[in-house]
Formats: sequence, structure tokens, C-alpha cells
Amino acid sequence: MTWAQVLELIKSILITQTGIPHLAVNQLIMICIAFFFLYLAVVKEYEPLLLVPIGFGIFIVNFPLTPLMGFSEHGTPELIRFFYKYGVEWEIIPCVIFLGLGAMTDFGPLIANPKTLIVGAGAQLGVFITYIGTLLCGFTLKEAASVGIIGGADGPTTIYLTAKLAPQLLGANALAAYSYMAMVPLIQPPIMRLLTTKEQRKIKMRQLRFVSKKEKILFPLIAATLIVLLIPAVAPLMGMFMFGNFMRECGVVKRLSDTAQNALMNIVTIFLGLSVGATMKAEVFLNVKPLLIFGFGLFDFVVCTAGGILTVHVMNLFLKEKMNPLIGSAGVSAVPMSARVSHSEGLKNDPDNWLIMHAMGPNLAGVIGSAAAAGMFIAMFQ
Amino acid sequence: MRLITHWLITVIWCIAVLISNPDQSLAAFGEDVEKPKPEFIKGTDKISAKLIPRGKSTTVTIDFECSDGKLVDVKAMDFGLAERPEVDRKNFKSELFTIEIGDVPKDKEITVSISSDFFSSSTQFYVFNEKLSTPWIKDVAQNVVQTGRIRSLLIHVTDGGPFDSDGAVNGTIFLVGGPFDSFWGYALGTLFIRFFGIFLVLGFLMCGMMLSGAFFQYLDKKQPSEKPIAMEQESTQKPEELIKEGVDSQTAAAIAVALHLHFQEQHRSSQVNLSSGGISNWIVQGRSRMMASRSISVQRIK
Repeated sequence: MTWAQVLELIKSILITQTGIPHLAVNQLIMICIAFFFLYLAVVKEYEPLLLVPIGFGIFIVNFPLTPLMGFSEHGTPELIRFFYKYGVEWEIIPCVIFLGLGAMTDFGPLIANPKTLIVGAGAQLGVFITYIGTLLCGFTLKEAASVGIIGGADGPTTIYLTAKLAPQLLGANALAAYSYMAMVPLIQPPIMRLLTTKEQRKIKMRQLRFVSKKEKILFPLIAATLIVLLIPAVAPLMGMFMFGNFMRECGVVKRLSDTAQNALMNIVTIFLGLSVGATMKAEVFLNVKPLLIFGFGLFDFVVCTAGGILTVHVMNLFLKEKMNPLIGSAGVSAVPMSARVSHSEGLKNDPDNWLIMHAMGPNLAGVIGSAAAAGMFIAMFQ
Repeated sequence: MRLITHWLITVIWCIAVLISNPDQSLAAFGEDVEKPKPEFIKGTDKISAKLIPRGKSTTVTIDFECSDGKLVDVKAMDFGLAERPEVDRKNFKSELFTIEIGDVPKDKEITVSISSDFFSSSTQFYVFNEKLSTPWIKDVAQNVVQTGRIRSLLIHVTDGGPFDSDGAVNGTIFLVGGPFDSFWGYALGTLFIRFFGIFLVLGFLMCGMMLSGAFFQYLDKKQPSEKPIAMEQESTQKPEELIKEGVDSQTAAAIAVALHLHFQEQHRSSQVNLSSGGISNWIVQGRSRMMASRSISVQRIK
């Protein structure tokens, strides 16, 4: 073998088998974006459970020639594509996450004050207003629906709906949803102060009634029956959510409930985060749409927060016992973050006004409301 | 501050996107990502097109038939070829079609029928004929209800007439056009219905929960009225009287333990922070109970 042949071989290896000559500016930008999200998750602790795997997914998939998100010559999915195909494309992971969420949720505050369900519905206002906005910006109907649902502040619902309607926007939508969920304590308080007077913020609500074990056991069955009858399209999400909750409340399958809450939830979170992150390849992600999605996501959150508060104002016109409008902002379903924000804003105005349990009602209603909105959108495209 | 940082990053990202990829960055708009791709099935006297229309996730079937002559072929036509400022492709959910009808009798009007359960009462049919000064002829079809949910668009055409794209009286008609549904009418109409639909669904749930809540509260009220007989046997004194008299230390300790056990039972699933600094007697007691119960369950498993 001559030197020339050796050099040619080395050159050939460098070109065909290493990623260095294929590294493009786009990919470097995406790697920087990945570092930014990892920074937010690790240093700022913004939704670290999701942003760490998403950030790492963006990071690893944007290196050239990586056999992660493609298909082999024989058509077999590569590693992360495998997770994506069977977890997200087949819509399994978001539903399993709903199972875990159901197992973690205590519906007591919502059962004690069912009126707060209406607040949860009112807080979906942003979902529909953003839908119009995105349509005006040239998004398709399906894309607009998947962007609109970001304001519902429900990560798994956003992922479920986007995977179903506009998989090309999955990365941007998931990232926007989780980023803004982490920023609920920053986004909501100014809107809450703007839409309420000091007197309204001081309204004290009557202590919630005691909810018996039987009521808690029956709630998932009643809720599943009514919701699935009215919106069958939402059965995968609501069915799993209520099943998780039923396991928790019935008390006879503690091991299953614990697994759904912990081990299973953690496993699917890893796969979900990695898969979603890995969809954000430079060639797909670096265009104006994700930027618009981030813009609309923020607008969506603002309108949803305002929608919840305004719904409480309207309800107060008819109610004998007034509700504190601060709990309206908890109608966006970032559980329990937005309920905590309502509580802390209440405390700022009256240190004796404990709103946390009252705010949990609209907060849980928001979860049901955003899932119902997702079901409405799915049904619309059937 | 965090929000400002976030927006700053977004602006930087925006600039980076435009610099790195100026052509592609705006390409996402104007691209027909939902372009329907019909598949045609030829029958004896009708041709069916199966396609996923714009704004839908499920396949629909559109049947083409004609009253006289012979339905020779139906093909899909790219909207780009018929794009004019007066029409928006978003309004054409199911693509444009070129319908070829042969053996057309001279001077006879024939009726082309386009049927589907996908059409609504507001569906119209727009014909495109580039030989005309205004190529798009709007709302040319009669929208009629067939069996069940199927609707038909009936278009009356003559050989060499304005709807015939070849413009010649040659026994063949080329009808080019597509079913038209107002995009914004549909988008906004369905939006309001669905937003109020959420109120309706959650309103129903609220009523269900109020009813079940009232039922359970009624049951709970009923139950204590049966129980006190046993309680009264133990003590006929009311709690207020007990407090007035004063409680001895043993009774107080017993009440405290009972309360502790009750709340511990309620919160036994919550996490115990074993690394906390100040360990009270309550924590020590709780830990020993937890360890005892664990050893029992381990023995049972073994």
C-alpha cells in the first residue's frame, strides 16, 4: 500500500465515517439551543424532569451521521426513533403519563367545590383565541389546534394532540408548553393583579367540606362516564387519567398505584423527553414556525389566565358566596404551580387568606378542561 | 428578569435562524403541507376518489357519476395550476379534479354528480376554465341530500359550454374544479361550538358531582344519628362539660395518641424526611411504627 493510498483511505474514513466534515452551522446552533435548555433545567431548575431529557435529546440528535432518529437500511427504527415510534407516534406515552398523573391526583378539592369546574372551562379561552391567531399567521387547522392547546398548560395533552395532528411541530410545542409551565409564577401574577381589585383579592372563601372516601372512589367512574359519553375522542387520555385515580382511591391496589405514580411515570418521562428532544433536528426546527409557536404560547398562557379570572368575575355576579378571583388563574392546568401562585398572591394581600385548597379545584378542573379541549379538536378533524 | 432573558434568547435565536438558513426559514409558510393525494378506484359507472382532505385526519370517499355519456376518467389536479388571487386553496379541502366525460350527445345537457358524506349543506362547487376571462366560476352546483348523510353536488354541463375546459364541441367534456367550503366559516363556526362545548361538558360533570355530593352528604348525615347509641354508653358527658371539669393527664395523653394515630393513618403515604435535624418524640414513635409494620410485611412476603 502506498502513502497515497493510505492518505486516500484516511480521507475516505474522515469523510464517510466521522461527523466532523458534516457538521453544519445549523447543527451547531441547535447544540447551543440544547445547552440553553440544559442550563435552564440544571441551573435554574425549570421543569428539570422534562427539560433535562428534552435538552439532551436535542443535543445528541444534532450531531451529523448519528444513527438515532432515522431508519436502518432494512427499515428498522434507530434507537430514539424506536422510542418515538412506539411511544409517541403510537400515542402510548402521553396516556401512560396521564395514568400516573391520575394516580398522583387527589380530587378532593374539586369534589368539595364542583363549581370550580366552570373556571377550568373558562381558562381554555386562550386555547381557542390562539387557534384563530395561528390560523391568521398561515398555520393549517391541525397545526393551529396543536399550538392552541399549549395554553392549557398540560404537557402530556399538548404532546398527545400534537403527535396526532401536527407531528412536525412536536418538538417546538412540547418545549413551549414545558417552558411556559415552568414560568407560570412569572407570567401569571401581573395579569392577576391587573384583572382584580385589592378588595377582590382579599375575599375569603368558606372552608371546603369534608369529602368521604366513597365519593373519592366514585368520582373517577362518574367523571369518566360523563366525559367519555360526551367526547369519546378523549377516552384514551381521560380513561387512563381516571383509571389511575381509581387505583389510588380504591385503596386495594396500592402497589399498582405506587408503580404508576413513581417507577412507571419516571420511565415514560425519560423516553418521552428524549423522543421529543430528538425530533428537534436542525433541518426541521430552524425555521420561523417554532419562534411563532413560542410567541403564541406566551400569548396563550396570558389569555388562559385572564379567561379563568374573568370566569370567576362572571360567576360572582350570580353566586351568593363570592369566590376569590385569584383562584381563576389556577384554571390553567399547571398542577400545582398555578394553584400555588394563586395562594401566594392571596397571602400578599391578606396573610390570613389561605387559598391553596380552593385553588386546587380550578387547577384540577383545568386538567380535565384541557383534555376536553384536546378531545374537541381531535373530534373536529375526524 | 427571567422572562426578559427568555425573550432575549428568542430574539437571538430568531436572528440566528434567519442568518443560518435564510431560504428555508420562511419556507414553512406557503407550503401545502396538507395536500390531499387522492387515489382513484374505477367502477363500472362511477369513479371513486379516496383521500384525506385538508383539516381532516380520516379518509373520505368522493364518488363521481354522470347522467349521460361515459365517465372516462377522473384525475387530481395540482392547485398551483389554477391558483388565482380571487381564490384561496384553503377553501378547497379535497383538491381539484379533472373529470373527463366521453360520448357526450350533441347539444344535450348532462349532469355530473359528485357525492360524499364529507360534504355539508354549505359545500359548493367551483369550476376552473382558464380559457375564460374570469377563469373561476363560483357556486355552479346544486347541493342535494341523498340517502343518510350523503350529499351530492349536481353540475349541469354541455359540450363546448363554459364549464368544458377544451371549449370545443367534440363529444368530450373536461370539467375542472373542486368542492369549495369556506375555510374561515368552518374554522370560526366550529371554534365557538367547541369552546361552549367545553362549558357544556364540564357543566354536566359539575351537575353530576353536585348530585352525587348531595347524596353522599345526606348519607353521611344519616350515619352519625345511628352511631351515638354506642357512644352514649361509654360516656354520657358532652365534650364541653368535660372541658369545664378539666381533663386528667392520662385522658389528655390518650386523646393526643388517638389524634396522632388518626392523622398518621391519613398521612402514612406521604414521605418522611429522615434527614431532618430536630427529631421529636413523635417522629421517633412514627419511625418505630413504620419499621415494625415493614418487618411484618417482609415476614409475610417471605
